[in-house]
Amino acid sequence: MAVEVVGTDIAAQTVEIAVKSQLGMKALGAGLAVGLTGIGAGVAEMGIGSAAVGATAENKDLFGLVLILTVIPETIVIFGLVVALVLWFV
Amino acid sequence: MFTPEKMSRLLIVASKDQMAPITGTLYRTRLFHIEDFVVDGREGYDGFAIGRPLEGASEASGDLVKVRALSNVFSISAENVEPAGRHRQSDLKKVIERELATIGNETEGLTARRSKLEASIKESEQRIAEIAPFAQIPVDLSFYSGYERFSVIAGYLTKNVTIPEPAEFRIVKGKTSHFIVAVVPNENRSEAERQLGEAGFTAAPIPAESGMPQARIDDYQTKIAQARAEIDSINLNIDAIRQKHTDFLLACEEVLKADVEQAEAPLRFATTDQTFVAEGWVPASSVADVTAAVMKASGNKAFVTELPVDAHDVVPVEYNNPSFAKPSQFFMDIYSRPKYTEIDPTLMLSIVFPIFFGLILGDVGYGLILLALCFALRKYIKGEDGEYFLKIIRNASIVSIIFGLLNSEFLGFPMGYSPLSFSRHLRAEGGGHGPLIPELLILTIWIGVLHITLGRVLGMINHARQDHGEHKIKAILANFGWLAVMWGVLLLIWSAVAMPLMPDLTGFPVLVTVPGLPMDIPGINVTMILGGIMILAGIVFIARDSILEVIELPTIISHVLSYARLMAVGLSSVAIAMVVNFISIDMLIEPQLEQISIVGIVVILAGVVVFILGHALNTALGILGGGLHSIRLHYVEFFTKFYKGGGLKYNPFGLKRRFTEE
Repeated sequence: MAVEVVGTDIAAQTVEIAVKSQLGMKALGAGLAVGLTGIGAGVAEMGIGSAAVGATAENKDLFGLVLILTVIPETIVIFGLVVALVLWFV
Repeated sequence: MFTPEKMSRLLIVASKDQMAPITGTLYRTRLFHIEDFVVDGREGYDGFAIGRPLEGASEASGDLVKVRALSNVFSISAENVEPAGRHRQSDLKKVIERELATIGNETEGLTARRSKLEASIKESEQRIAEIAPFAQIPVDLSFYSGYERFSVIAGYLTKNVTIPEPAEFRIVKGKTSHFIVAVVPNENRSEAERQLGEAGFTAAPIPAESGMPQARIDDYQTKIAQARAEIDSINLNIDAIRQKHTDFLLACEEVLKADVEQAEAPLRFATTDQTFVAEGWVPASSVADVTAAVMKASGNKAFVTELPVDAHDVVPVEYNNPSFAKPSQFFMDIYSRPKYTEIDPTLMLSIVFPIFFGLILGDVGYGLILLALCFALRKYIKGEDGEYFLKIIRNASIVSIIFGLLNSEFLGFPMGYSPLSFSRHLRAEGGGHGPLIPELLILTIWIGVLHITLGRVLGMINHARQDHGEHKIKAILANFGWLAVMWGVLLLIWSAVAMPLMPDLTGFPVLVTVPGLPMDIPGINVTMILGGIMILAGIVFIARDSILEVIELPTIISHVLSYARLMAVGLSSVAIAMVVNFISIDMLIEPQLEQISIVGIVVILAGVVVFILGHALNTALGILGGGLHSIRLHYVEFFTKFYKGGGLKYNPFGLKRRFTEE
């Protein structure tokens, strides 16, 4: 009798641990998705941004164009954010 | 509305004696965009030369230079001045010469005196610098010069030194170098100089002054103070003159600028010995007015005709938008003005941009803050561009408030009712439920699909209007191909998986059963085949126009998914607001309110500071996020489908008068 109770207890605990660790993995994945894509977007925008500032200093009319070029890599982190949201909430 | 203002090409021919009245009229009507005449051996223009400026051009330019010099002295610029009233041009012209001379004389004396004082200050400072090292040695400065048998040496040393007798010397020790004054008999001079040279000597001039050094320094300092005071009073005087004459000077500048521009207009015309030809562009609706005005000015002695517009002509572009869409022209000009033959997307931009902004920043609180900010900044931001920008933000914040009401959000708090749209609340509180991420995501994907479809359709229209021959068909079909691939992919997805808010095509009977497909897809059904055909046909159409474009195919997915930022950026702003509220209210303020103590009040104040700073930061991020991402979706995802830009700005010959009237 006693052995059986312990057995179901352990089984319940195992399930609980599995569910919790799954949640943890999800959180980890979501964090990695946002963090890594953030770094990626930052690295990509670094070069473009400095070149953009230089170009604008030479010719102010280029502002609109270089703004577009600078924000293009922003999509990367948006994808990361979407992945994180889908992981966490869907 | 969707195209720029229609333009007509106008040719004006008249004899040279009509040049002045006709340019005057054109200037006044401010409708004629002059096309500069270039001697390039065009057919039919043999024997034409660039015209000479009208009489009075050089006098007017001379006066203009004077006015601008005065404006410069007073640092007046027209942009920063609100016109008090308008001067009559004829009245002004009568007094211009005399008044300019008077103002010139008044200021000339003052500015000359000011520069003299500034020079004297510099000189006094120089003298003080010379005397300063001697200040430590209490010897009258006159004793340093005027000897026949002795030499006086002064300068700096890096090392300490002793000069043997017969010589007298003083050393003032400093941190890095020492100052020395030595009196040596002439015959010992070279020996002393050698010794000094070994100690790293650099000579300093001996001031030609008399009196004790400190007293002399004090004298010069009083001189400087006096000069400074006088300069201040001169500046006050100049300021008074400036205030008296600002309006007059700006009016003069306007009148003279108009004179110079009119007098120099013939430099842009083609002329022969007896006649001149002016070519230019006029809005089609104003052709009759301009023609009538020119005829009247020349007493019917001019020939005005409309020329046919050639496909290769560079036609100046003037926007033609309803007034509510005009502010968006600001965003269009940042990107590029549309070409004459192109669809002008300003109207669409003016409608869609605020909606995107509202989708991202749909919060009543932030909307109200932005709206207040707009009205507050009105005082400080001047000029057409600034006004346009504020109006764009104003419209965007109003839409943001509307979306905030739908979302039931106020600074990140729920407003006591469940959202009327898909919930963005991250926590299920106040009776609502948590965020409906799949629905929000699919909603933004739909917006993307429709926006891009609109862009491609506009692309087809643009190609139909601009291209010719075989390329026209190919280009239109290529745009159709992009659409076919996008909708084909959608069909495939719909037939494979059932999703909320999307058509469910999984129910169609399976034609071919394929085992082992992912996501439990039983096999291929009719709509999948249709989707596949659409994709293949689309790729063929794209490749026919340009084979290289095929490598761009993945952008179909990435551009559509890019619209997910409407949800993602919005949710991140909600999350920041929520975190700020949690830290300031739940963590800091609320626990202290239960039992008020002195420390508690400090903590509550800290909570208030966190609340204000956090929401200020989120407002700034909201403007950046909402504005930049919305405009980026237009620039990158929407415009690239159809819009080239690069049109020439319509810049009519004439001046927008602010300070004068005819």
